[in-house]
Amino acid sequence: MKRAFQVGLAVLLFGLALYPTMASGYGIRFMLQLFMWVALAQSWNLISGLTGYVSFGHVAFFGTGAYAAGILVTTHGWHWVPASLAGGVAAVILALLIGYPCLRLKGPYFAISMLGLNEVMRVLVSYFEGLTGGGSGLSFPTQPASVQIYYAMALSALAVTGAAYFIITSRFGLKFMTIREDEVAAEAMGIDTARYKLGAFVLSAFVPGVVGGLFARDTGYIEPISVFALIITITMIVMALFGGKGTVWGPVLGAVTLFVLQELVWARFLFFYQILFGAIIVVVVLLMPRGILGVLQQRYHLPRTI
Amino acid sequence: MNVVITPAMVGQVVISGLLAGALYSLVALGLALIFGVMRVINIAHGTILMLGAYTTFWSFHILGLNPYLSLLVSMPLMFLLGVLLQRTFVRRVVDAPELSSLLLTFGISIALVNMAQLAFTSDLRSVEFLTGAFLLGPFAFSKSRVISFAFAVTLSLFAFWFLQRTKLGKAIRATSQSREVAMVCGINVQRIHLYSFGIASALSAAGGSLVAVMVAIQPEMGQVYTFKSFLVIVLGGAGNYPGALLGGMLLGLVEQLSSLFLTTQVSEAVAYLLLVLVLLLRPTGLLGGRST
Amino acid sequence: MARWMRQTAGLATVLIVAAGLWTPAAAQAPIKIGASLSLTGTYAALGQNQQRGYRLCAKHVNEKGGVLGRKIEFVVYDDQSQPATGVRLYEKLITQDKVDLVMGPYSSAITEAVANVNEKYKMPMVAPMASTTAIFKKGRKFIFMMQSPAEAYLEGLIDVAAKKGLKTVAIVNEDTLFPKATVQGTIELAKKKGLQVVFVEAYPKGNTDFSAILTKMKAANPDVIGAATYFDDAVAITRQMRELNVNPKMYGVTVGGDLPTFYQLLGKNAEFVYGATQWEVELPYPGSKAFLESYTKEYPGVDLSYHSAGGYAGCQVLAEAVKRAGSLDGEKIREAILKTNTDTVYGGFKVDQDGFQISHKMVMFQWQEGRKVIVWPDELAAGKARFPTPPWSER
Repeated sequence: MKRAFQVGLAVLLFGLALYPTMASGYGIRFMLQLFMWVALAQSWNLISGLTGYVSFGHVAFFGTGAYAAGILVTTHGWHWVPASLAGGVAAVILALLIGYPCLRLKGPYFAISMLGLNEVMRVLVSYFEGLTGGGSGLSFPTQPASVQIYYAMALSALAVTGAAYFIITSRFGLKFMTIREDEVAAEAMGIDTARYKLGAFVLSAFVPGVVGGLFARDTGYIEPISVFALIITITMIVMALFGGKGTVWGPVLGAVTLFVLQELVWARFLFFYQILFGAIIVVVVLLMPRGILGVLQQRYHLPRTI
Repeated sequence: MNVVITPAMVGQVVISGLLAGALYSLVALGLALIFGVMRVINIAHGTILMLGAYTTFWSFHILGLNPYLSLLVSMPLMFLLGVLLQRTFVRRVVDAPELSSLLLTFGISIALVNMAQLAFTSDLRSVEFLTGAFLLGPFAFSKSRVISFAFAVTLSLFAFWFLQRTKLGKAIRATSQSREVAMVCGINVQRIHLYSFGIASALSAAGGSLVAVMVAIQPEMGQVYTFKSFLVIVLGGAGNYPGALLGGMLLGLVEQLSSLFLTTQVSEAVAYLLLVLVLLLRPTGLLGGRST
Repeated sequence: MARWMRQTAGLATVLIVAAGLWTPAAAQAPIKIGASLSLTGTYAALGQNQQRGYRLCAKHVNEKGGVLGRKIEFVVYDDQSQPATGVRLYEKLITQDKVDLVMGPYSSAITEAVANVNEKYKMPMVAPMASTTAIFKKGRKFIFMMQSPAEAYLEGLIDVAAKKGLKTVAIVNEDTLFPKATVQGTIELAKKKGLQVVFVEAYPKGNTDFSAILTKMKAANPDVIGAATYFDDAVAITRQMRELNVNPKMYGVTVGGDLPTFYQLLGKNAEFVYGATQWEVELPYPGSKAFLESYTKEYPGVDLSYHSAGGYAGCQVLAEAVKRAGSLDGEKIREAILKTNTDTVYGGFKVDQDGFQISHKMVMFQWQEGRKVIVWPDELAAGKARFPTPPWSER
């Protein structure tokens, strides 16, 4: 069983590595945006799925990365690869700055403070227009680099999923889950909760920053309202939740299912698409709060590491 | 290129801030009620406000009903919708982690907003009932905003009186202080939840009806009010009802004064920075609320 | 491969027609024109108007025998008013659906993003609803502008103000790509005409309360107020100006002031307001009347706005260019568009080597007794401006 899974995974990765050689431009763009969602959903999973702290403003890291990379590319002439990595670093710095105070807040207060953080970031980016272009946005050089960005996005998705696998299967991960289940008990057991929470938070910020930079380069144009959009946070949460939060493969499964569904459905049901999205959220929350994988794990006693 | 700020200008924006603040208080009081009683953050709160606004628009447009009288339609209607939502959906996530209720109400919200778009289109609508201003020395008082202010203050005080003095109100407060104790005292907690959600929705709808007379409306108008209400209840202390009233006024003033002294652009950020600051210094809000 | 085949097919068609052999248009697969428009989301109403223009154009072109002997057909997707979705959809239209031609999306922001895609595939794109100059000044070869640039939106207001001897201007704008370009342009124009800009402030998208900005503006006491905004805010600002008793001698808005709903929403308060527009139905452009008639017949009860006319005319320009190019080859169509110098329903069309529009004219109207009266420029004016705008208390 385990062996078959590994072989299947290897074949899949191999196929994805070869995909750009035979795909159309649309196929590549579709897949790279898919990888982006996998990376985002999985990143959110690292903080919220594991520690239970609901980050309702995770798109702040995405937007910060997009703008950091955007500024480096457009005004300093950096190549987009180091620029995107720098975007990740910028997101990490932001996470360090706000993580310490905000992670002291509990439950809904943490969620609202993260929501606020995102608004503040958006306003700051709009305000410092000398640096960011403000509301006029930033536009990138026009040479397409979709294939390279495809691989970069794929690597980001892979890296964060690898991190999730490593954490969930390690003793380290058990500590996170202890925090999620009962923070006071975790503290009593001698777990330095503040440090672990901050660690998870910072880790969960890095990849959205990188992915933000890649997204910016690929779209070619960013503006504050499009990269700090609440709907991006919501989408990554719903994807993670749909697949199964706190699991390794849940966010991947959720992102793939919902993104494909969206692409297939919304062209046909223009005005119903959003209603359908709302309905999906309601159904997932009410009927399968543990997600697809959560349900499968419970029914078939699958290992925690799936 | 910028202007020197005079006391008269400060006076004018303080007026605007208070006029807007009273409305924030009214709407936030509803959110505070739901949060206090059930610990649910209702993202669909602003959506209900939007539906209230449309109720006023249509009753004005089709029936020619005075928009202030239309509160008598929008409030009971949204009370019923609130009760329905609570009964069918929200009830099931009251004890779940906060993520569930956040997402559930968000899902309800986008479904409702898009249904409204289908039904009403996304065209702007407005109730041209009362425009213009009372002029008093250097100050202008927008007619529609002054009347909305009066309604908002009256309704908020009435709601407050209701919570303090009536039997149902006391039961609601008891439930929000401790559900277990309330149950022991023989309070039907499920019923209290239903009433609370209904009353909260009616308050939000009243806010919507009043907004409809002030500005043009469209289906996506609600989200702003949801966010502002978050700010208000956290500022005032979640589940703390006088705190919500104070927080609303405070938010109105902070927004307007920071727009005046800084720019409108940063005023949003100032409000959120204030929120984060308050949370960090007094995690339970300015007047103190219940911790989770 | 398929592209090559299609081109050959197109060429073959021309040859057959040239040889005098009559081929019924319907017998061949139609030419597919792809576009993604904002059918839902923030720009939904305007994107839908633009789509009506596209569809009506296709209908008329087909009634006149199509293009290259084939019918044309639109493939339209919804980009939900988001640039990233637009990019993916144009990629889909071009590489998956294999459309033969593309037309532009709605809004400057989305055009800026998707312009990289059609550029990559060397597909000429007439972008009827993008008016930010920067988009066309980046060395792109395959994007063509239909309308006057954002910078020129308040030109009429400033010009008339200068002629009337007014001295000071204040501007309020939404902090996004297009309105900001308008502000830049207006500041320059004001300087050139000798007006002093006394106050400028941006507000974030989605803002609904303008009290503080207007209070400051009132204190600056400008002769002229310009609002570089979209429709919702134009309505809100006008209304709140009345409520705060702000009384400039001239007040003009950019986008949205031309919609009939503007007057419906504001009633009497819309009187005396100046509005900039790319197009008005009564302008004496060729085919205007026929366009109005068929539009009202096709879409009864739907507001006619310049988005529809622009979409319609943009598609006409493309169809004409394809006819003259005699092929669906991007480079050839590009050449044909660069050589185009014509008057459409939408006004003049001529672009420079960058694809930047140099012929189209902006007009300014004023709301007078519920009607839009064009008051600028003089050669197109249908009436005189009612000047100065009286204070609110005297209306």
